[in-house]
Amino acid sequence: MMPDNLVELQAVTKIYNQGQANEVIALKQVSFTVARNEMVCVQGPSGSGKTTLLSLIGCIFAPTSGRATIGGKKISRLPDHFLTRYRRELTGFVFQHYNMLDHLTVLENITLPLLPLGISPGDRVRKADRLLEKFGLSHRRNFSVTQLSGGELQRVAIARALINDPPIIVADEPTAHLDGKLSREVVDMLASLRDEGRTVVIASHDPIVSAHPAMARIIEVRDGIILHQLSGR
Amino acid sequence: MTGNRLGRLLNILDYALSSLGRKSLKNGGVFIIFTLVVFLFASFQLVSRALTEAAQTVLATAPDITVQQMSAGRQVSIASSAKIPLAPIFGIKKIEERIWGYYFDESNGANYTIIGLPARAGDSGGTQLFGLAEGRLPVASERGQVAISDNVRRQLQLGNRKHFSLFRPDLSQASFATVGLFAPKTEILTADLMVMNLADARDLFAIADGFVTDLLVSVANPNEIETIARKISEKLPGSRVITRNQILKTYKVVFNRRSGLGTVCLLTALAAFVILAWDKASGLSREERKEVAILKILGWQTSDIMLLRFCESLSLSLLAFISGYLLAWVHVVFWGGALFRPIFLGWSVIRPVFSLAPPLAASDLLLVFSLSVVPYLCATAVPAWRAATVRADSVI
Repeated sequence: MMPDNLVELQAVTKIYNQGQANEVIALKQVSFTVARNEMVCVQGPSGSGKTTLLSLIGCIFAPTSGRATIGGKKISRLPDHFLTRYRRELTGFVFQHYNMLDHLTVLENITLPLLPLGISPGDRVRKADRLLEKFGLSHRRNFSVTQLSGGELQRVAIARALINDPPIIVADEPTAHLDGKLSREVVDMLASLRDEGRTVVIASHDPIVSAHPAMARIIEVRDGIILHQLSGR
Repeated sequence: MTGNRLGRLLNILDYALSSLGRKSLKNGGVFIIFTLVVFLFASFQLVSRALTEAAQTVLATAPDITVQQMSAGRQVSIASSAKIPLAPIFGIKKIEERIWGYYFDESNGANYTIIGLPARAGDSGGTQLFGLAEGRLPVASERGQVAISDNVRRQLQLGNRKHFSLFRPDLSQASFATVGLFAPKTEILTADLMVMNLADARDLFAIADGFVTDLLVSVANPNEIETIARKISEKLPGSRVITRNQILKTYKVVFNRRSGLGTVCLLTALAAFVILAWDKASGLSREERKEVAILKILGWQTSDIMLLRFCESLSLSLLAFISGYLLAWVHVVFWGGALFRPIFLGWSVIRPVFSLAPPLAASDLLLVFSLSVVPYLCATAVPAWRAATVRADSVI
């Protein structure tokens, strides 16, 4: 049973290279929540801490201090093994640069998260085919990802993020390399995931993203702190 | 749960195999060197095994006991009359005289082994080892006949001729006619051999009448060979009594020693290869780092990445092991272990050319496996772990 707030951060601080000469404080005492079935946008200039915030929500690492609860699981001070498990079960990540493995086909890239789960090839293909159909990529199924356009790549990335059916989708600048029309398509897709009952957190500068009708809140981050939170349209 | 674990293993193995295929250029070099190392090891092992087996087979029909006379620590002729005190020893079936020595052929630098026997070879326990491909062995009643190997025939440049001469110590010539040719399978012992009548051998070496180089003793019960050998030593003080087992042990010691020396040399090659494997596995390219980070972000555990690397290393090393071993087998069986044969058989002008048929022994396979695949897997384990600990966020 999922809690009402799928993301709960309380006084979370993240410090990179702590105690070293190149120490960086990326987040300072950040607190906020994201409810189930909510779509929020995190905004801020480069280096403001957006990606760190998304990485925390995506269970990629634990905070240096403070309390982070994702999907009802406390991830603060969790060892890597459990973080990976929660990441796999709770979140799907969509990257700015797509992060596809160029030597694999579309189908193979989408099914990558399923391999260590021991899911049979037949079941993997069935799951992937459903998502390819949903995002209009069936005809590209066996293409190399190097043959796809930016818009198609981002759709493949979203399909891959959904293959484990996670309740939270985290997208880092998903429209950064797309033109206006494609950007709108991608945000519509992410919004449709919210309509399916998922929680969607997007980091973006793009006004197309922040102005989308499905956007519930806009969280402004600067120098590792939350400046303000605005309601969406 | 077990099904999931098996499924995970199969999925990751499948991914590892396709990954190896994709990086064929990078892995090709390691595969070739690995195959070469296994080939060298396995060839050495198989040649050693085959030679030991061949010696064992041939010596199985050798005389039970050979008796020689020693003087001042050197072998000298033994009187035929030495048979007399041995005759009463219970368990001795037969005692034969033999003249045995070397003949150096200055014209071609070859050294022949000459054996003079008193009777038709097939009739005596001491001569059963000389299987013939054609003709017969010399008989006691006719002088000037020899049986030789194909090697000796080539060395003497006989061609189709049957007659040739050898020099006595006083440089007078003794003529011989070839009446038999040894079978190639016995070449380990017959490569440089000439078997002739006892009287002819005595004449050729100018050994006094009533003397031979050794006595060959056949024993009725093989279990009593050692006991009878001890009794012979007691009856003939100053003699050297050699049992068949001792000869076989000597062969084994010689082959094992040479095999050991060769293995030490090959270990150096293996060490170099392991260093290369370590070096290769340690150097993660930017693409490889990116791949690991993406897989980890997508939910692959560190243990999954390590399993992936292990599967890659295991697949590569097993493939190289099988290829190397098969090549070694072909090298030994079809090319007679040409690379290593001189190491085991020496550098004599006349080399045995018998065919080798090494048995497939599990112990040999295990030895080569543990000296090649296991070190490779160990060498790549730590780099695999280092690769697996690439931070997931390094790709963001």
